[in-house]
Amino acid sequence: MGDSRPTGLPLSVSALEVRSPRGRVLLSLPALEAPAGALIGIRGPSGAGKSTLLYALSGLIGGTTGAVRWGQTDLLSLSAERRAAFRARHIGMIFQDFLLFEELDALGNAGITALFRPRAERPSLRARAAERLARLGLDLGDRGVGSLSGGERQRVAIARAMAAEAPILLADEPTASLDRAAADRLIDDLVALTRDTGTTLIAVSHDLHLIDRMDRVLTIEDGTLTKDGGPA
Amino acid sequence: MNGLITDTWAGLPPVAQEILWTLILLLPALIAGGLTLRGYAPWPLVRAIIRRYRWPAVMFVLLIAISVGMGIGLLAQERGLRHGTAKAADKFDLIVAAPGSEITVMMAAVFLQPTDMPLLDGPTYAEIANNENVAISAPLAFGDSFGTASVIGTTAQFARYLADDRIEGRIWRTSTEAVAGALVPLAIGDSFTPAHGHGDAAEGDAHDGAHLTLVGRMAPTGTPWDRAILVPVETVWEVHGLANGHATERGDQIGPPFDPDYFPGTPAIVVHAEELWANYALRSDFTRDSQTMAFFPGTVLANLYSVMGDIRQAMSVMALVTQVLVAASVLLGLFILSRLFRRQIALLRALGAPARFVFAVVWSFGAVLLLTGAALGLLTGLGTAAVLSHVVTARTDIVVTAPLGWSEIHFLAAFVSVTLLLSLLPAAVVLRHPVVEGLRA
Repeated sequence: MGDSRPTGLPLSVSALEVRSPRGRVLLSLPALEAPAGALIGIRGPSGAGKSTLLYALSGLIGGTTGAVRWGQTDLLSLSAERRAAFRARHIGMIFQDFLLFEELDALGNAGITALFRPRAERPSLRARAAERLARLGLDLGDRGVGSLSGGERQRVAIARAMAAEAPILLADEPTASLDRAAADRLIDDLVALTRDTGTTLIAVSHDLHLIDRMDRVLTIEDGTLTKDGGPA
Repeated sequence: MNGLITDTWAGLPPVAQEILWTLILLLPALIAGGLTLRGYAPWPLVRAIIRRYRWPAVMFVLLIAISVGMGIGLLAQERGLRHGTAKAADKFDLIVAAPGSEITVMMAAVFLQPTDMPLLDGPTYAEIANNENVAISAPLAFGDSFGTASVIGTTAQFARYLADDRIEGRIWRTSTEAVAGALVPLAIGDSFTPAHGHGDAAEGDAHDGAHLTLVGRMAPTGTPWDRAILVPVETVWEVHGLANGHATERGDQIGPPFDPDYFPGTPAIVVHAEELWANYALRSDFTRDSQTMAFFPGTVLANLYSVMGDIRQAMSVMALVTQVLVAASVLLGLFILSRLFRRQIALLRALGAPARFVFAVVWSFGAVLLLTGAALGLLTGLGTAAVLSHVVTARTDIVVTAPLGWSEIHFLAAFVSVTLLLSLLPAAVVLRHPVVEGLRA
């Protein structure tokens, strides 16, 4: 598999604040440190700012001040284009409702980042995408993802997030659209893959089965960090 | 420097100039496309987006195809009509008639749409026929018909000239013989009686005593004369109870010379001189204020074309306005469609796709629709022009062909170039959408 490469990056957040276009504070996080390869769960009520934190950590959301350092890189100090370049190489993202290209097959989705990588990197990236799909038990041939089950679709999304061997994986409610059995299988796969590769995982979830498997759990309420500790 | 460019350009063969023009028109789009797509392979994604939004895409392609097709069809048809009418007038070097409307006389003599016209008398005809520079001076006599075919009286010499001497069977030798145009539904050997007048107003029994036999058929000329029956001009005069152009003692003579005293009159004389300069001299000689007018049908047509040229320009402006409206619609459509796949675009940005890649995806989507629509439009235009040509040819007997010309190719190249450049706009706007909003859309 070649999954043993320690790829995680440590996280250091300071004075992070996210405001809405009207100036309302959506998230305020004075400080947060996490070592490379940590598995961190984020929980909290709906609308508390969990997803906002995830988007801020990936440099996707506007109106953000403070510092988000992944390794030596302060993501928020970069231009939008360089943030995108950083995400392409260092951050894999998993979304609640999969966000797949419905007309592409599983491999097309898992290897989609090959389309905008330098030509020389494309074959190896596609090969890794196929490898990740196989690792996740998906042997789908050229079936369009539109015909897949929810569990299969989320696996494709995980394969996509991990195909680039990104040292950071950010997951937003990865099990929310799945039934219990599918969710449990996915949690097993996700945890195993990130552990094997030393990937830093930050997962927003209401799913206690997932939260329980994390090294550390943050609770966000009303835009602030109210609890930082081990699994509940 | 400018002189060198002008000289080099002028030294190029016309085809090379046209190809270069096409490339120059396409150049902005080619540069934009090259810069946008350089180093990326967005096609799998573009294909996926097109398949996902196939029905809106089909609608756009059809809209573009119809618009482009109309533009190309009109341009090709207008040119085909000009060529067809010019070719129809080829054999009518100079026409001499009584003073009046040149267009009316041209319509009667060349396009066989006769109206009542004053007649030229025998001495005038004789003066023309006896001019040393005149090779053919053919009086025309209209007014009769058989079925849908006009029966035209003229001389054997002109009939041969009109058909380039390609006559199946033979030319007439007596006043009871006739030669048919290529499209007349009569066979050699058939007999017929001409009616007086045309169409519903024709009097079928007015010339009951006249029984004419077809002895020859002209090769196709691509003019309304293909559907006419040519008879000796003497025949027309005789069946109308007039003198036949010859003195009594030469009453059986067919063809010139005509005796001015027995010449009943003719509405138009087709004159042909072997030398070009002679035609100009004859026109000058026979342009007399109160007696005769002489004109080149080609010149009358050229004047008409210049009026048509204005119409053509108006049509071109209308076509341009249509294209602008279509381009605006396409632009609007691309904005709407880009909203439809806003989430996918946001996803690409979240996954780290460079802005230029996202730009390339959206632009390529628009470009595929535009190029497909333009290609279909080209075919639609050619089809439309072919159908219109067929209809015009069937109705006028003027052979109109409307093949693809360089003006249509330039029109298409300009349309493609402008719209491909315009479709950069929605691609640029998409990049301004906030990513997180897109992901939550």
